[in-house]
Amino acid sequence: MIEALKNVLVMIELELRRLRHDRTEIYFRAVQPILWIVIYGPVMSSVRAIPTGGVPYTDFITPGVMIQTTTFVSIFYGLMMVWERDSGILKKLLVTPASRYSMVIGRSMASGVRATFQALIILPIAFIIGVRFIPNPAYFALAFIIIFFASGGFAAISILAASFMKTRERFMGIGQAIIMPLFFASNALYPIQLMPPILREFSTFNPLSYVVDAVRGLLITGDLSNLIIDLVAIAIFDIVLFILASISFKRIIE
Amino acid sequence: MDWAVQVENLVKIYDGKVRALDNIDLNVEAGKAFALLGPNGAGKTTLIRILTTQIKPTSGEAYVFGLNVVRDGEKVRRLISYVPQEMSVWTDISGYENLLVYAKIFGVPNPERKKVIDEVLEHMGLTLVKDELVSTYSGGMIRRLEIACAMLIKPKIMFLDEPTIGLDPAARKVVWERLSIFKKEYGVTIFFNTHYMDEADLYADDIAIINLGKIVARGTSEELKHSLGGEVVSFNLGEATPKLELTEEIRKLGFVRDVFVENSNIINVLVENAEVALPHLMEILKNEGVNVGKVSITKPTLDDVFLKYAGTRLEEKGRISDVTHMRYMIKKG
Repeated sequence: MIEALKNVLVMIELELRRLRHDRTEIYFRAVQPILWIVIYGPVMSSVRAIPTGGVPYTDFITPGVMIQTTTFVSIFYGLMMVWERDSGILKKLLVTPASRYSMVIGRSMASGVRATFQALIILPIAFIIGVRFIPNPAYFALAFIIIFFASGGFAAISILAASFMKTRERFMGIGQAIIMPLFFASNALYPIQLMPPILREFSTFNPLSYVVDAVRGLLITGDLSNLIIDLVAIAIFDIVLFILASISFKRIIE
Repeated sequence: MDWAVQVENLVKIYDGKVRALDNIDLNVEAGKAFALLGPNGAGKTTLIRILTTQIKPTSGEAYVFGLNVVRDGEKVRRLISYVPQEMSVWTDISGYENLLVYAKIFGVPNPERKKVIDEVLEHMGLTLVKDELVSTYSGGMIRRLEIACAMLIKPKIMFLDEPTIGLDPAARKVVWERLSIFKKEYGVTIFFNTHYMDEADLYADDIAIINLGKIVARGTSEELKHSLGGEVVSFNLGEATPKLELTEEIRKLGFVRDVFVENSNIINVLVENAEVALPHLMEILKNEGVNVGKVSITKPTLDDVFLKYAGTRLEEKGRISDVTHMRYMIKKG
């Protein structure tokens, strides 16, 4: 158990070292979310068609856009797994004494690190265009811990997908096919109440909604009434995905 | 005897139809360098992947230092280290950082970590470039870094899948010099796959030739070459053509195994030991009044051995450029 935890930390350390050498990807990936909050947000808010519970529309979508980017980072982490499979890295890792599940959780949480940085660089831009955050450091910290763990779960989805889709091209396709439905059938851009009933049902099983709800409560609205449910949902999501990804991980190299 | 690897009736069938390993039996002695020599698709990589617990055999048993690779996989993984054929280091961090990550995964305790890493860097001649990004390394340096990773834990056995594929001769030589020193110093068993005959010839204490999933020959390089039945002494007679009586007379000699005439002016004599046979043969030719323009002695190579047992020559060109190209692509991301 302690050994597994150590391995997870090593994988996180690996990711931090990579980030230290090269952060270009993070900067380029920030372009899209910035467009959402700098252009889409203000335009839509002038329409005033979406009930946001009293906060400005751009403020409302900022957490959603942050989570969307981090989900992107995590889902495409599986692409790195496919790359590491094509190279010999995964083979070599699987021949070390490290347990398979510690590798899966380790790589997933490593993606959480990358995702957290990705979310962090959106903050100053949101601040400059006038998004008002709740000035509570503890809330900020908790929000980013939630982002970190939730991203780990999404990365586990991508590892699961990577163990079935063994070429990069196929994986690119499946990546898009996972992210977009998750994003649009969530509360990232509009409240769930606006959705048709079937989508609303789907949304209760959409992990993204819980993450967005928790982070929005902590950073923007201060409404923490659902926080416990959100945390439990995210924890269940993580555990289930870690288990599934660990089981299928071996398929990647076979 | 202490066996590093024992394999009994091992069969691996992929997707129910491709028979990659066909009833293999193999014992490898501990502390030796063992080469599995064979062409592309012979089953070399499959065997290494089974021995390193990555895939399960379809039937049969395999043991590494007495531990069953299927049932005791976890214990096996603590004894071995492995360098896959494909590139297996992260190129976006430095060489030192790669080793640090692997040292931690292998559980090298903190106080020793730096020392062990410096040692393997020194061993593989990478100390000067340890802080450079791996993406700036040459192919040979990357291979040495991969082997350095495998040296971190002083394994009981190292599995190297085509350790020098795609490297130029000088780089190959360096890799093997370092490996030989490491083997001598720590008594590590080296199990390697190769399709370079000279590599098996020079560096392996023991060789198995594999073709189409079967081990077709086994022994030291000397034994294998010997099994071909000897050496060839060729006499080039220039313009002259040997008489039939002459070749028949040579054939009757006790130490001669076979005689055949090539291009109507070259007499090839197959003998066990060419150096001993040569003076006798010269004597006979002289007595018969034959003028010999040129004499040459051909000793069999492992390629000839391979030709005899596998029925084909080891084709290598296409394969090497494939893998080199792949490693290159991977390096560039």
